[in-house]
Amino acid sequence: MNDLATAVQSVLQQPADATRVKIAVRGLDFHYHDIHAVRNIHMDISERKVTAIIGPSGCGKSTLLRVFNRIYAIYPKQRADGAVLLDGENILDPGYSLNRLRSKVGMVFQKPVPFPMTIYENVAYGIRHHETLSRPRMDERVEQALRAAALWDEVKDKMKKSALGLSGGQQQRLCIARGIALRPQVLLLDEPTSALDPIATGRIEQLIEELKKDYTIVIVTHNMQQAARVSDETAFMYMGELIEFGNTEKIFTKPDKKQTEDYITGRFG
Amino acid sequence: MGNEHTIKSYDAELARLTAEIVRMGELAASQLEAAIDVVERRDERAAQRIVDNDDAIDALEHETSHDVVRLLALRAPMARDLREVFAALRIAADIERIGDYAANVAKRSIPLSMVAPVAPARGLRRLSDLAVAAVRKVLVAYNSRDAQKAHEVWEEDVHLDEAYTGLFRELLTYMMEDPRSITACTHLLFMAKNIERIGDHATNIAENVWYAVTGEPLQTPRRKGDVTAEPVMPKLGG
Repeated sequence: MNDLATAVQSVLQQPADATRVKIAVRGLDFHYHDIHAVRNIHMDISERKVTAIIGPSGCGKSTLLRVFNRIYAIYPKQRADGAVLLDGENILDPGYSLNRLRSKVGMVFQKPVPFPMTIYENVAYGIRHHETLSRPRMDERVEQALRAAALWDEVKDKMKKSALGLSGGQQQRLCIARGIALRPQVLLLDEPTSALDPIATGRIEQLIEELKKDYTIVIVTHNMQQAARVSDETAFMYMGELIEFGNTEKIFTKPDKKQTEDYITGRFG
Repeated sequence: MGNEHTIKSYDAELARLTAEIVRMGELAASQLEAAIDVVERRDERAAQRIVDNDDAIDALEHETSHDVVRLLALRAPMARDLREVFAALRIAADIERIGDYAANVAKRSIPLSMVAPVAPARGLRRLSDLAVAAVRKVLVAYNSRDAQKAHEVWEEDVHLDEAYTGLFRELLTYMMEDPRSITACTHLLFMAKNIERIGDHATNIAENVWYAVTGEPLQTPRRKGDVTAEPVMPKLGG
C-alpha cells in the first residue's frame, strides 16, 4: 500500500507535459580534416518525439545525425568535440563502447541497403550479433520487428525469399525492421524516403508516427513538407550552425529567425 | 538571402493576389462614395447601377479564392507566405461584405428618394467619409504591409462608432418630433448601420494585416464607440 502511495505520488508530481530529454547536445563541434562541419551545437532532443533536422545541402545536418551513433568513427581524421549525452552519459567518451551505443541507437539511410540474404536473415542477422536466442524466440523477434515496421503482412509468406526482390519502399521498411529488431531507444533516419515514391513515403511517415510511441526519432530530410508532417520539433541548420530549434508548428508558421524563414519559404540563395 | 523567392513565378503569384485585393478594396470604397452621392442627389438610376456593380466585387472575390486555393495546392506556402495567403483569403471576404453594405446603401436610396427629404441625410456623409477613409487607409496598410498603420485603423474605428451613435440619436429625435419622417429616418438608420459595419470590416482587415506581418493576433481590447445597443446611452461628449 505504501509502495502504491509512493508510485501515485510520483505520477502526480510529474508535470502533465513532461518531456524527458533523451539526447542533450552540448557545445558539439565536428571536423572532417580541416573542415569545421558542425559548429558549437547545443540542443535537447526529447524522448519519444520526432525531431526533424532541415537545412540546405552541406549545412551539417547529416553530420550531426552521424555523430549520434558515432558512425564517423570508422573514418580517419574525423573528430567530434564537446558532449552528446544519451540519458546523461557522454557517447563521445572513448570509454562508451560502440557496441553498446549501436544497440541503443539505430540508423536507417537514404538508400535502402538490404543484405543479399533472405528477408528473415536480414532481420535476424543483427540480433545474432548481440544476443543468442532459440529458434522460436528468434522467429518471434523477427516477426515483432517486421510487424512494427508495417511490413509483416506483405512478407510473411516469403520469409525465405531474397530481400533484394522487395520493392524500394519494402526494402526501406525492412531496413527499419532491421534497426528496431535490436530494440534500440533512438532511431536515426537519414533522408529515409528520398528514393521512394509518394505511396511508399506515406507508409514510412505513418510508420514514423507509430514508432514514436516507443522510440526517440531524429530525421534528416530535404523535404520540408515531410518535416512539417512528421516531426514535433524542427531544427534548422545553416553552414554548420544550429540557427533555430523549436516546436515544428512554430517554425513553419512563425519562425523567429529571418534565415529560417527565408529557407522554408524558398527565398534562399 | 534576399526577399525574393528562388522560384520567380511564386513572387508573381503572390503579387497578383495582393493586386487583386487592393483593386477589389478600391472598388468597394468607390461604391460607398458613389452610394452616398446618389443618396444626396436622389438619383434612382445611378443607385441601380451601383447595385449592379456589386457583381464585379463578387467576381473578384471568386478570383481571389481561386488563386488562394491554387497557391495552397501548388506552392504549399510556409511561414510568412502562409500567413499572407491566409490573410488574403480573409481580407477578400471582408471586402466582399463591404461591397454588399455599399450596395445596400444604394438600394435603400431608391425608396428614400420617393419620400420627402429629411435633414439628417447630411449626417450620413460624415459617417461614410470616415468609413471610406478607414477602408482606403487599411488598403494602403495592406499594400505596404504596414502593421502600424493597420493598428491605427483598428483604433480609429471608435470615431466611426461615435459618429454612428450620434446619428442614431439624431434620427430618433427626428422621428419623435415628426412621425411623418419615420419612413425616411428608418431607411437612414439602416444605411447608417450598414456604414458602421463597413468600419468593423475595415478593422477586421486591419487585424489580418497585423497578423500577416507580425504572426501575432491583434488582441488588446478595442475601445467601442457604438453604444446604441446599451440599455442607457451615455451622453456624448459629456
